[in-house]
Amino acid sequence: MLHGDYGKLAGKPTMKERHKGLLLLLPTVLIMALFTVYPLLDGLRVAFTNKHLLKDTVQYVGLSNFIRLATDDVFWLSLYHSLILTVGAVVLQLILGLILASAMKQDLPGMGVFKSIIMASWVIPVAATVIMFKFMAQPDVGLINIVLKGLGFENLNRYWLGDLDVALPFIMLLHLWRNVPFYGVAFLAAMQAVPKSYYEAAEIDGANAWQQFVTITLPGIRSMIIVMVTIHVLWTFNNFDFVWLATGGGPVNATDVLPVYVYRQSWNSYTIGYGASIGSVMLGLLMIYFVVYMRICERREAR
Amino acid sequence: MRSKTTNRIITAILSYLVVVTALMFFIMPMLWIIYTSFRTQASIFTGKVIPPLSEFTLDNYTTILSVTDYAQYFVNSFRIAASVTVLSLLCSITGAYALSRFDFKGKNALIMGIFSTQMFPQVLMIIPMYLIIFSLSLLDKTIGVVLGQMVLVLPFQIWMLTGYFDNIPADIDESARIDGCGIFQRLLYVILPVGAPGVMVAGFFSFVVSWGDYLIVSIINQSQRTATVTLVIQRLSSALLIRWGQVAAATVLTIVPTIILFSFVQNRLVEGLTAGAVKGE
Repeated sequence: MLHGDYGKLAGKPTMKERHKGLLLLLPTVLIMALFTVYPLLDGLRVAFTNKHLLKDTVQYVGLSNFIRLATDDVFWLSLYHSLILTVGAVVLQLILGLILASAMKQDLPGMGVFKSIIMASWVIPVAATVIMFKFMAQPDVGLINIVLKGLGFENLNRYWLGDLDVALPFIMLLHLWRNVPFYGVAFLAAMQAVPKSYYEAAEIDGANAWQQFVTITLPGIRSMIIVMVTIHVLWTFNNFDFVWLATGGGPVNATDVLPVYVYRQSWNSYTIGYGASIGSVMLGLLMIYFVVYMRICERREAR
Repeated sequence: MRSKTTNRIITAILSYLVVVTALMFFIMPMLWIIYTSFRTQASIFTGKVIPPLSEFTLDNYTTILSVTDYAQYFVNSFRIAASVTVLSLLCSITGAYALSRFDFKGKNALIMGIFSTQMFPQVLMIIPMYLIIFSLSLLDKTIGVVLGQMVLVLPFQIWMLTGYFDNIPADIDESARIDGCGIFQRLLYVILPVGAPGVMVAGFFSFVVSWGDYLIVSIINQSQRTATVTLVIQRLSSALLIRWGQVAAATVLTIVPTIILFSFVQNRLVEGLTAGAVKGE
């Protein structure tokens, strides 16, 4: 699905070689089993216990963690924020990435340099990104407020990440800052693989730039769009760093998202069992997304 | 009807508009933090964009490097990131080669399984992971963090390298096989030289992910001595009285290694990262 057909490419290794081939996979499989599969299964198990970080006794408590969840306002608020953040960030990244790629596709002076530096924001640590934006959001001395003052909006002066209404959109902005160049450059690579003759033919038929974009470019880079969206929905929904480092979930839960709530329940309130139950819900939601999304993509493919 | 030249000019203007906006948005925050790192605390607090020359200083850097243990944290980060890079490459090169060149039962399920681990919430896995590393007595040790961070990079790395190796014609290692080369010889002398650009990007990816990791290192390395640069800039920036000049200097020092490495791979980065996606078009 995500890869093509491997059988075609594979040579005809002998039986002996095949065993060696499996041996090559062993280190990876072992590490993934020990540090990914086991922790996940154990995490799911703990979700049904009352495990507490500072207490030795652990009991299975059935569904009581999940029952508690259903009436936990902070959980629902975090879920709501997680959904808004993920959908908002991915949709905006998709649109802005397409715009960026379309601009970079033009053969203009200076574009080469631009293309080679623009992904810098993706490689630097999230902690550094957060500090850069935290500093820019400072009242009085931050760049944002300096610029606003220069434009005559002195009354807007505030700590932007501390504002109840602005904090969550600001976090979304951080995601955009990090990811949009990656989208742009990836879409550009896919666009350049679309045969030029398609566009020439469309030009002769009198299709304008927008029509060409919709009927040739978009279908041409479809599989890249699918991959980028899939990966980023998972990465954004599971992302802990941005919110934790920028606001810790505040001010007053205004930026609480599920990963941060799980972390707080587990490591600050020590209620690991309850934290794990929230994590399990996250996993469940992502699995639903994954299955539904893949179904839709496959159905489209079949058409 | 507009003429072709007018159309082209409009396209050029719009494209440059996008480029200039993008530069302002994506590059300026980095330039601003670099600029700030050379200013005195008093100068930053005037809120002026262009202060007099006398307010520029190197003190922030000298303070960070001499008064704090930043150099030690930098070495910690480097040791961890380098180890993750080497170990994860060993696993992912061999694993991706096996997935790309061998057929066996359940292979597609395995690929799907590896990819779907991207869906697992880290915050859920971190507790059992902490307990395993604790029971191996590897807390606060380089190897403990390295093992924890390996699973951050391996799935994506394998996915990417499998795609990359698939694009290398099977004929070349097939003919090497007929000439009597074993698996490891083929991997070492045929696949690695041809696939070097992809391997470089894979290595770069694991270095920057490890260098930038906050969650795992914050759980596994809780003592001051074993902290990494990401933990330290976070602590500096959440102090009660924030010395922004020093925070900026520490942040710049944290960014620099990633940018230097980025400059080596920048042109191949996307080709490598998206090899898995472009394949099969």
